[in-house]
Order: sequence, then C-alpha cells, then structure tokens
Amino acid sequence: MLENKQLTLLQDINLSVVKGETIAIVGSSGSGKTTLLSILAGLDLPSNGEVYLKNKPLHQLNEEQRSQVRAEHVGFIFQQFLLISSLTALENVMLPAELANDANAKQQALDLLTQVGLSERANHFPAQLSGGEQQRVAIARAFITKPDVLFADEPTGNLDKKTSTYITDLLFDLNKQFGTTLVLVTHDLTLAQRCQRSVEMQGGRLINSQQLSDTMMEQFAVDTKITEVESV
Amino acid sequence: MIFTMANWTKQSIRLLKHELKRGELTIVVLAIVLGVASVFSLAGFSGKIKQALLNESTSFIAADRVLQTSRKIDFQEIGTESISEPIVLSRDSITKKTQQLNINQAQQVLMSSMVFAGDIMALVEVQAVSSSYPLRGELLVSDSVNENELAAVNAPELGSVFVEEKVLSLLDVSVGDNIDIGESSFVIKAIAKQIPDASFSVFTSGAKVIINIADLDQTQLVQPGSRLTYKYLFSGDVDAIKGLTAWLEPKLNDSQRWYDIQSKQSPLANALNKAEKYLSLASLLGIILAAVAVSVASRRYAQRHQSSVGVYKAMGASLSHIRKLYYLHWSLLSAISITIGLLVGYILAQLGFYAIQDYLPVQLAVTSGNNAEISALISLGFYPLIVAVFTGLLCAFAFAITPLKELIATSPLVVIRGANQQSSNQTFKARFGQFLIPLLALLLLLFIFSSDLMLSISLLIGGIIVSALLLVFGRLLMMFSRSIGTKAGASWHLALANLQRRAQANSVQLVSFTIAIKLLLMIIVIRGALLSEWQAQLPEQAPNLFLVNIAQNQVDNVEQFIDQQGIAASDLYAVIRGRLTAINSDKIAKQVSKEEADGSDNGRQGVGRELNLTWREDLPKENSVVEGKWWENNLSDVSKPQVSIEQTLAKRLDIKLGDSLSFQLGSEVITVPVTSIREVNWQSMQPNFYMIFNPQVLADYPASYISSLYVSVDKKNKLQKFLSAYPTISVIDVDAMIEQLRKVIDQVSKAVEFILVLVVFAGCLVLVAQVQASMEEREREIAILRTIGAKGALLRNSILLEFVALGAIAGLMASVAMELTVYLLQSYLFKMQTSFHFEYWLLGIAAGASFVGVVGLLSCWRLLNMSSVTLIRRTM
Repeated sequence: MLENKQLTLLQDINLSVVKGETIAIVGSSGSGKTTLLSILAGLDLPSNGEVYLKNKPLHQLNEEQRSQVRAEHVGFIFQQFLLISSLTALENVMLPAELANDANAKQQALDLLTQVGLSERANHFPAQLSGGEQQRVAIARAFITKPDVLFADEPTGNLDKKTSTYITDLLFDLNKQFGTTLVLVTHDLTLAQRCQRSVEMQGGRLINSQQLSDTMMEQFAVDTKITEVESV
Repeated sequence: MIFTMANWTKQSIRLLKHELKRGELTIVVLAIVLGVASVFSLAGFSGKIKQALLNESTSFIAADRVLQTSRKIDFQEIGTESISEPIVLSRDSITKKTQQLNINQAQQVLMSSMVFAGDIMALVEVQAVSSSYPLRGELLVSDSVNENELAAVNAPELGSVFVEEKVLSLLDVSVGDNIDIGESSFVIKAIAKQIPDASFSVFTSGAKVIINIADLDQTQLVQPGSRLTYKYLFSGDVDAIKGLTAWLEPKLNDSQRWYDIQSKQSPLANALNKAEKYLSLASLLGIILAAVAVSVASRRYAQRHQSSVGVYKAMGASLSHIRKLYYLHWSLLSAISITIGLLVGYILAQLGFYAIQDYLPVQLAVTSGNNAEISALISLGFYPLIVAVFTGLLCAFAFAITPLKELIATSPLVVIRGANQQSSNQTFKARFGQFLIPLLALLLLLFIFSSDLMLSISLLIGGIIVSALLLVFGRLLMMFSRSIGTKAGASWHLALANLQRRAQANSVQLVSFTIAIKLLLMIIVIRGALLSEWQAQLPEQAPNLFLVNIAQNQVDNVEQFIDQQGIAASDLYAVIRGRLTAINSDKIAKQVSKEEADGSDNGRQGVGRELNLTWREDLPKENSVVEGKWWENNLSDVSKPQVSIEQTLAKRLDIKLGDSLSFQLGSEVITVPVTSIREVNWQSMQPNFYMIFNPQVLADYPASYISSLYVSVDKKNKLQKFLSAYPTISVIDVDAMIEQLRKVIDQVSKAVEFILVLVVFAGCLVLVAQVQASMEEREREIAILRTIGAKGALLRNSILLEFVALGAIAGLMASVAMELTVYLLQSYLFKMQTSFHFEYWLLGIAAGASFVGVVGLLSCWRLLNMSSVTLIRRTM
C-alpha cells in the first residue's frame, strides 16, 4: 500500500499541438505518457497548470463540461480496443454519432465499416472478431464524429506485427482523409516515425521537444502548460 | 430534446435486447424471477393452504369465530361500560354489522338436562342450534346405528332431534321414538355421527342431543339461574372476519369470549399455529435468498459494465444520458423479470395445489357462500400479487441501487487505467451508505412478512452481527487452510492459494454461501422437528376411546378384560370431584374470577367449579416434575398428605411450592401442601389432571375411574359386548376426532414439505448466482495460467478443489450458525423442545462442498475447455 505521500507524475510540461498535426508521444513505460494523454484529452486534470483544447480551458471545466468538449471535438483509440461487448460492430461505431444526435448515424457507420473493410462483419459482436478486426472497428468508431483531435493510446500495442502495419496504414489514411489532428502515445518507434513530430517523455518531463514555428502556433489544436500532476 | 430522449431510449433498449439474447443478464433476470416467483407462489400458496386448512379445521368450532357467553345477548344494549360513549353490543347491532360485512351467523345454546323416555331418564348435553348451524364443517347423521351412509344436515326440524348413539342405549330407544326434554316431546329423527364442534375434553361427559333453537322456549329449560352457554357463530371471508373482530373486541365484557380455532388450546390449533409460523418463516427466507441473489448479480453486472460506461464517458456522453440509459435499462430488465416471475410463481403454485389437492379437499358447501372458497383456491388472489410485485421492485432496485450508482459514477479514466480501481479509497461514510439502502429494504421486507417491527429489527441486527462474525471467521479459516495448502499437492496448493488471495471477494462469497446453506439447513431441521413432534402427538395407536365412570368394584374386571384382549391402555385413574377453596388462607373465589375476567385461555374449566382430582403412587407418563420432588423422592415426607399441581395452573393462580391448598370434597375440607409442580403434555390422548394427590390423602374417598385405550376396529365389538354388562360405564369414542386431526396434520406436513422444496430451489439458485459472479475474474486467471503452460487437469482440479474448500468451509459455518438459530427459533418462536442436530452438520459440510464444487466446476467447464487464444481474446 502507498503511504499517504504525494507522488509527482508529471512536471513542467509545455506542449502545443497545431491543427492537422500528427504527433507521437514516446517514452519508456512509466514515463508518464499515458497520464499526459489523459490530461490532454480532458479525461483527467493537472493539479497545477493549464490545458486548452480548441481554445477551451479544460482545467477550468468540470467533468460534465469536459464530456461535452469530448463529444464535440475528440475521438479515441485504445490499446485494449474497448469496444462495448454487448453491442455489435455496427452499433459500436454508431455510438458516438448517436451521442452527438447525428440522425444519419447508421449510414455513416456502415460507410466507415466498409472503409475499414468490415462491412460484412457489421452485425458481429466484439468477441466474434479478431484483435485486428476489433481495432478496425475502434478506428471506425473514432472517426465517425469527424473529431478535431484523435487520441490514440498504443493503438497497435496488442497486435502482431503484420496487423499492426495494416492498422497503422488505415489510421493514417483516414487521418489524412478527415484532416484530423492525431495525438498518439506509443513506445513503438516505427509508428512514431509515421508522425510529423514526436516528443519524448522521461520521468514525467518532456525532453527533446521540438518547438513549433510562430505561424503554426496560430492554430493550436491543443495547448498545454502543465506545472505539476500529482497522485496520492 | 425529444430526439435526445429517443436516443438514450433506443440505446437502452438495444443494450437490453443484446444482453438478454447473449445471456449476459441471465443471472440478474433469474434472481429477480426467483424472488418474485417464490414470493408469489409461497405467499399465494401458503396463504391458500393456510386458508384451506383453516376452513378444514374451523369445522372444529363449526365457524371461523365464536362469541361465547354465559348470558344471552339480548336485543337491548349490554356492556355499556365506556364512559364517553355507550358501547352497543346487542343482537341488533351484531346482525346489522354482519349483514354489512356479508358474514354468516348461527347461534347455539348448550346446557345439561335430563331427558326421559317413558320411565328411563338420562343426563345429556342439550345443544340447541339455529337453522344455519354448522357454518363450518359438517353435521353428519344417519338413520340407523349400523347405517354407513351419512348425510350432512343443518339443525333438525321443529319437534325433532338428532341424538348421539349413546343416548339410544341410555334410554333404550331407537330412531323414530319420542323423548321428552323439559316440557316438550321430540321425535328422534336421526343419529348424530359427527358433530363438528364436539369437545375434545373427556370430562364433558354427557351424550349430545341436538334440537332446533326455535324449540328451546317450549321446553322451558331456560330459567333464571340455569347454567347455560350461548355461542354465536360467525363465518365469512378473512377480511370480513377481521373487520368484525375489530368492531366487536372492544365491546366485549368480562363474561364474553371471542375465539377462533387458533386460540383454542387444542392439539390441532397448536399444529396449525406452528405450521403457519413455519410457512411464513419459509417464505421470508425465500425472499432473503432472492434478495441476496439480486445483490450479488447486480454487483457483478455493475462491474462488467464499468468499462462500457468509461467508453461512453470518454466519447463525451453526459452523466444524465448515462443515468437515463442505465436506469431505463434496469427498469425494463426488472419489469420483464417481474412479469416472468409472476408467471413462474403462478405455475409453481398451481403445480403445488395440484400435487396436494388430494390432501386438501375443498369442502363441499353445506351453506351457501362457500363456493367462493373453491374458486379462490384456483386463483391466488391480489394480496400475493401486490406483495410479489413490491418485493420484486424492492429487490431489483434497493439491492441494486448502490452498484448501479457506482457504475454510473465510473470515471472516464477507466478507459486508460482499467476498471476496478475506484472502490479502494472509499470513506467509511460512503461504505456505510452503500449498505444502508439494502439494509433498510431488508428491514422493510422483514416487516412486511412478519408484521412485527421489534422482531424485524432484532433479526436484522442479529443478521448483521452474524455476517460480520462469519466474515472474520471465514478469513481466519481461509488463512488457516492456506498454510495447510503449502504442504499439499500442486492442485491443492494452487486452490488454497487462490482461495486466500481472493480472500476479500471470497469472504463475501463465503458469507452468502454460508447464509444460503444455513437457511436451507434450518428449514430442513425445523421441518423434521415439527413433523416428529406432530407424529409423536398422534402415534399410530393413539388412544381412541375413553372409559369413564368405572365404579371401584368394576376396576378389576375392566383391567382383566383389557389384559385378555391385549388392548393398549393407560392406567386406570381414580376421579374424585372436589373444589379448590383456598390457597394458603386466601379464599380462592376472587382470584378465579379475575382469571376468568381476562378470558385469556380455554383450559380453566376445572377451576372455579369442581375439579377432577386423582391420586397416584407413581408419576404418570407424559408428566414431568419441573419443581419440587415426586413423593418417593421426598423420603422424609412420603407418608404426609401432599399434592402435585400442573404448572400452567400454578402459574395462573400464583401457587408456589410449599403453599397449602384447601379442597372441599363433599362435606369435608382437606388442606395439603404443594410439594411438586408438573409439566403435563395435554396433547397426549391420556387422562390428564391438574391436581394429583399422594395415595394417603384420597385413597379412602369413593371414586370413579377413567382410562384411555386404543381399540382396533375388530376389537370394538368385543368391547361393546363386554361393556353391555356394565351399563354405568360411559364410553367416549374419539376416533372420528382423531381421524380428523390426523388428516389435518397430514395436510400441514405436506404443505411444509412443498414449501421446503421451493426454498431449497431458491437457495440453489443463490449458490449458482454467487459462483457465476466470480466468473470474469476466474476467466482472466485461467487465461494467465493457461498461457504460462498449466495443464488442463491441474487447472480443473485446482478450480474444483477451491470451490470444494469454499463450500466445505461455508457448510461448516452454516451448521454452527444453523444450530444457534434453530435453538433460538425452537425455544422462542415455536416454543418446542430444543434439540441438537450434529447429523446435519455433516450434511451441511458435505452438501456445501459437493454442491459448490460441482456448480463451480460446471460453471468453469466452458472456460476450461476453451483454447488459450480464445480465452485471452475474451479477457482483453
């Protein structure tokens, strides 16, 4: 059991991501990259610092308001796929569109499933799909709301090499097609190299972060100044 | 906005549809179905059985309720004792009330009187009844002594009488002859073979003559000062009778008693009371089991859905969206389950009725209005329906609300960090809050089914304490078994290590296994004890005849005859009539009338008038001394006059050891000290006495003798022949009464067994639900073990052994807990002899181990036979 002592997870992080950019956050296990991702996406809050997503101050919003921001601007892809096991592939893809009250959810979902090559498996449940297929469903789900920013947490972490390559291609193709800002966390350097930029985490700090040019700075998708993230 | 609503509704229904189809909700549905079905069938069924039994047994008082009084209730107002407003209890007001409540009524007047046939006369019990008598049960008559065809009748026509067989021989008359009662003459119309409210008491010795109440005035038997008993009989549906009771009871005066079959201290009432308590206890336990099942299943449900809620939230679903989605989902689920539960319960109850219909004959109505009962037996009625639905809702929501709330509050972070991380840092207050709602719901359920707040609260607190003890004890046992496991084989090692590693989850599981097994054992044990108590009450050769009024000089001949025929008989008891006149130097009259005033029981006939006294050398069978010593153990005083008193009478009259009692025997007064207090089994069909003296006191007084015998059918003729030489000996045949009693007790036993089956079924399903609840975690573990190369046999054995160990520990703890509970129940609720049941300990442990083991293994079987790849994919 942990003693009642505060543990600093992240410190002095200053990161901006511009619209349409693809950025990889790399680092070894425990370096804090997943924590950073959850703060950037508004799933968690820094104990000190500021986070802006599409110019909205996430650090000042409550859980509900952050939900609203996510519904409007954010998509996710997880290492564990996290499909809802009791819904079919199609229904899983439709879900975010439905949450955004999109009347055309079903057709869009079918289109996306076709794009990821799973139109014939639309009515299968996650347990009936392979890992690669599940991640394709997850990718389709992530793109259905045409999010401004897509966060991907080790999207190929649970897949074999061949499937990984296929998934990576798919992800970047769709990203290009939709013009989405992509923030992905990985320790896979091949995947990181597909991004326009990568930053490295070590012991809760960013090292080797490349600065952006001033012109690019005008169109921030995400802008973060984290002084501290602590955990009890 | 409307669109948004449609959206969450759509998602909710979709979720429900898929989950139901894929079997994800089976356990939750089963748990609620089980709860509702068992309540509906148990409440409906036991209620119906109770009602049918009561209908059957109310024939013993010929009504549902009787108002008995020694003074006629006249048309004018009586009992106007209240200061503020006059309380009216007159024939008028009673009639008005019964009409209003749709209650049937009948009257009868009872008295002793001489009847004459020519020169011969005999003392009989005259029973004057109104035309609607009997309201319950049947008055069966036949035209001749040997006629077997019996007809159910009401009151005799004017000018005619029904008589008991004995009257014919006493007066030497036959059917069709005339007899005189008082100033009137009557024709003997038929022989009364079965009188529904015939007394159980041996000492109400007179043979019965039944006349129409309209003939009573003409006989002029009713004179100022006559000793009469008026009985006003009422029958109707349960609520109407309740209404009448509520209206009537406050108006009763000291000389009026208002009783039903259950307030009679008869063996039958006793059996019925206990059966009723047992049936309600069994229903209650069925519901608690169902509630446990729902709470287990809903917790599992919430855990399984955590990541889904996380995903919803990560995708930006608002809290209210998720709340609506899940509450609707759960409500739909509950509604479906409750509906199925009602259907299943209905079918179960019908099957139950079908199975026991032979034992529960619906009485063909003698009076109109009974037809309603026949149809009521088919339908279950509204009350069980309402209670079942309410219980279903309570189970579905109260026992699931905490897991549901926690589920809805799931942080979106679970999508990153994984589930099951939330509950670890809860405050005490939050944890307490978690249990508050289910506990309150449980209290409410207990209260609904027991209607006794104090009992409910103490049961609940007792339950909490027991659960806490079980939790601690279970942990200790698991720790202990772990240390044994390290010395055992690989499977055992793994099994016991698993057991302990999951100690927290397992100890919760253990507690519910324990509670389920305990409740089952308890129901089985109490059933056994009840049945054997009833059996003992009416052994195969229970005495069916009493010989009364045997003269001293006939004793030897009677004894000889009994010996020769090999008839089972009690000893012959001397009966000397005497009146208790003083306790110490206090005159008795006051105390007795005070006792009569509260009219609390029925066993006081002996006191206040003459008592039947006897003397004995030895303590009679079915008697045991609870205070003081029997004569032979009183060596110093053995020859001194002394008396032994029955304990309830002693308590009632506040008589202690050493008090001296004065009795008037004819013209003589004797005063003797009380040297012992006896407990008497009044339910044995034996001559029983309040007062037994040592021989020195009474042996020289003239006495008649009494004995009870069991005479088989083939010997009855011989007995009759023998007794024809002794016309003064009276025979009281209680065969019919015993047969009726035996029938009712058989029915009660069947009812008890049927309900046992239902409760066992409920218990089994809780066990299954509980094993199912740990499936997800096990799945993950098996996947890991498989991956690291564990062999199938090892996995199988370790799972089997883990469940076996869990079941055995639960069985052991259940046995201990059962023993304590049964002890308390027997001594406080059922007021019966307590007993210990070590044989059931073995049953508990063996059943726990084998059942939990088998169910556990079967539930995991699918997992064990999956390929590693499938397993790993499933757990991701």
